[in-house]
Parts: sequence; C-alpha cells; structure tokens
Amino acid sequence: MVVRTQKYTRKRARETDRISLTVNGQVCTMEVGTAPHQIDPAHTLAYTLRETLGLTGTKVSCDHGACGSCTILIDGKAALSCMTLTVECEGKRITTIEGLGDPGTGALDPLQQAFVDHTAFQCGFCTPGMIMSAKALLGENPSPTEEEVKEGLSGNFCRCISHYHVVKAVLAASCKGR
Amino acid sequence: MRSFAHINARTIDEAIALLRRYRGRAVLNAGGTDLLSTLKGEYLSRYPEVVINLKTIPDLDYIREDDGLLRIGALARLSDIVRSPLIISNCRVLADAARSVASPQIRNAATIGGNLCQDVRCWYYRYPRHIGGAIQCARKGSGPCLAVKGDNRYHAIMNGKRCFAVCPSDTAVALAVLDACIHVSGPEGDRTIAVTDFFGPLTNALRSNEIVREIEVPKVSGLSGQTFLKFTVREPIDFAIVSVASVITREEGVCTDVRIALGAVAPGPVRAGKAEEMLKGNRIDEEIAARAAEQALAGARPLSKNAYKIEIARTLVKRAILK
Repeated sequence: MVVRTQKYTRKRARETDRISLTVNGQVCTMEVGTAPHQIDPAHTLAYTLRETLGLTGTKVSCDHGACGSCTILIDGKAALSCMTLTVECEGKRITTIEGLGDPGTGALDPLQQAFVDHTAFQCGFCTPGMIMSAKALLGENPSPTEEEVKEGLSGNFCRCISHYHVVKAVLAASCKGR
Repeated sequence: MRSFAHINARTIDEAIALLRRYRGRAVLNAGGTDLLSTLKGEYLSRYPEVVINLKTIPDLDYIREDDGLLRIGALARLSDIVRSPLIISNCRVLADAARSVASPQIRNAATIGGNLCQDVRCWYYRYPRHIGGAIQCARKGSGPCLAVKGDNRYHAIMNGKRCFAVCPSDTAVALAVLDACIHVSGPEGDRTIAVTDFFGPLTNALRSNEIVREIEVPKVSGLSGQTFLKFTVREPIDFAIVSVASVITREEGVCTDVRIALGAVAPGPVRAGKAEEMLKGNRIDEEIAARAAEQALAGARPLSKNAYKIEIARTLVKRAILK
C-alpha cells in the first residue's frame, strides 16, 4: 500500500514516491508529491503531459470528458487524458500525437499525412484528439467501414464541422484506402 | 482539481478497511469518468481527503460463465462488455446498453461497477462551485429538491421522493430486465441486492464502507428477443431522456415470457410489471402493444416541465414490444 500525501513524501524513502510511465517510447520517472516539480495525486495525465513534460500537442478543451480533444493512447487504446489521474498510470505505455511521426526522419504517420492530404481540419484544435482516436480505431480494425469510422470517432467533437473530411481521411489511411 | 491523498488498494478488504479508516473522507475510484468530474466541479458538500484506486485490485474485471449464470467483476470495462462473446450470446441487451454509453474513449475506461454507482446528472446537484458556489439541495442533505419548482425537464416522472433526479445508468436498465443482482462486500460481510432494489431517490442501497464486487446475470434463452432503446438529444456522449429494455420470448407467436424495464424516468430502473402481465400468454399486435405501453406509464406523475417524457416512454415501450 502506497499512501501518497505531502506528509508521507517527506518522511518516506524517495523510491516509494516515484511513478514510471512510458511516453512515446521514452521511460519517464517522476516524483509524486505536492512540490512544484512533483506530480500531485490530483494531476490529470493531460496536465502532466502538457505542463510537466511539455508535450503540448495534446489539447484540453472541455476538461470533463465530453469533447475528445485530449485523447491519447494508453496501451494502444483511446483514452481521455483529462479524465485519467497520472498517478494511476504506473507502468502504462502512453502515446501522444508527438509519438506518431518518425523522430529520426521527421516523416509523418500515414494517418497524419491523410489528414493533411484531405485538409481534415479547419482551426485544428480537435485534430490531435481526432488522429489519436482514429489511430486506436485502425489499430483494432485496420479496414473499417464508413459507419465504423463514425462510431470510432463519435467521442471527438469539432466545432468547425471538419467531420466529413476527417471520415474521408481515416478511410483513405485504412487498408481499404491503400 | 484540489489535491488529495491517493492510495492504491490491493484487495477489496483493504479498500473496505481504508473506507472505514477515513470515515466518509475517502472516495473510491474505478474508471474515474464520473469521479473526476465530481472532483473538478467541487459541488459536493465535502471534498474528499483521500481517493482510493480500485484498479490495482487484481482479477476483478472478469466476465465468466458459471452454472447458468454470468458473473461480471465490478472492474469489467464497458468496452469489454460490448465485445464479450459470452455477453453477446447470452444477454445481448446488456452489450447493447453498454454500447450506448458515452463515447469509445469513456467506454475504454468506465467500469460496470462505476456505471451502476455513478452520481446523478441533476443540474442543480452538479452545479459547479467555481460559478457562484455549489447549490444545496435535498440530495446534499439540506433544503428542498430544486427541480420541483425549477427546470425539471430531465427529471423523474415517477417514484421521485425528496430528490427527483433520475438514475443515469444505462446498464442498470438492461440488468433490471435480466433480473440481475449485485454482490456487495462490506465490513459486515457480503450481501446480494437485486438491481431494481439497488437505487433509491436519495442514494443507492450501499451502506457506508460497502463496495460493489460482482454483477450476477441469469442467462436468457437464446430464442428470446432482446431490445435496448435509448432516446437522447444527441447520439454519442449523452444520457438517456428515456430508455427501455425488453426481453420477450415467443412460442408460435404467443408471448411466454415478457420483461420490460424503463430507464431515466425514476431514481432507478422501473420494471413495468402490469404491462408484462398484460402481454403474457397473448399474441402481440399493435393494439395490445399500445395498451401495454399505456399501462407501463400509468403510474407516471410528471413535474411541471417533463410530461413530454411520458409520450417518449410510451413510444419506446411500444417499439420494444413490437420489435
């Protein structure tokens, strides 16, 4: 049993108050506590990604699990980073929009390229979430039908109504599109 | 979110012991999709000091068959229930209800135990603290239910008492029609509660320091028709205005077993007992379906702005019978 409070952080050996998660292939070990450089138990994964790790590609819009902007992958499955506590991600494999392209060559993921080719965005704020949801969908179902794409992206909202282009882009990036 | 201490529970007994130790100052977290918005809104009278993580309890997310019963661990995720071949082949109405919940991302995190124990969606109850202060009401222990005189378009049309918020759980409606029961564990041992008895106007049937451990679902004959219908304002990420679940078995056109439950009309799922009796032993046609739907809503007592829910509920019941 690990009790994480400010009191305990000071008293206990540092090892017990660390959390380790893999973000885009890189292992991140962070201290848990309430000091400014530490992960507060109340920090959401979205907050940690953006404010602690500087991965601002993940966007936060509603912060209540209703819009899908903050979608990331946890162990390959689409998840809302604003509704996930960082301290509960011990040992998890996190993928954000920054983790999709090839860091060596700078080449985009085929799904990202399909979004570019189909201009599947207007203001672009919802796009990272859209792409991560689509990534999870294609991971589970490499050749979805149009209906399945719509269902898979039903948790992502776009106020610019880019949905039609998004569906086309995802279909193009799926096996069927190739 | 304001800070809290965070504890990973390793067993159910440990979680119960922690609840006892913190005496109402601790909350349980499974999927977190409901709890985190509760904490962010800070609308409860008391902000918890401790969050107990249940996800670290091993082997509580099972879905298995056992002697004619399906047993679902409280930590089984809604996405697992949607896909489970056992559930699809034995009680499809539950898979359909789970699929109707929120969005793919939320279904990947939300658990069946959490779906049953989630707090109500009443807009007075959930009014956030940082926009002018949380609102006190009967459910929070002081004052009247503000929905009675206020805007009650999404509130209860039957069985409301002191609090008129409706049960937001979709899986509860399917489980009610499947005659499922909930196994809970607490400091005084284990007990079993029927799903229809689990919900009440002010709170659910859990006593202090109790935890939902397992959902037990009797298998349904493969020949019966199972339907889950949910009326919402928008399709994904929305709670039901009215939902209806039904299990209907027919032999040579004659109804031998009928079960109908209504959701989002009352503090818990409501079985339409009289409508079920009316249909049993009869051939189903438009006329009897309409009469049964009328009967199912006979006990409705709408508030000032929600009589429209009666008409929607009648239509859904009729559709569920004729499907």
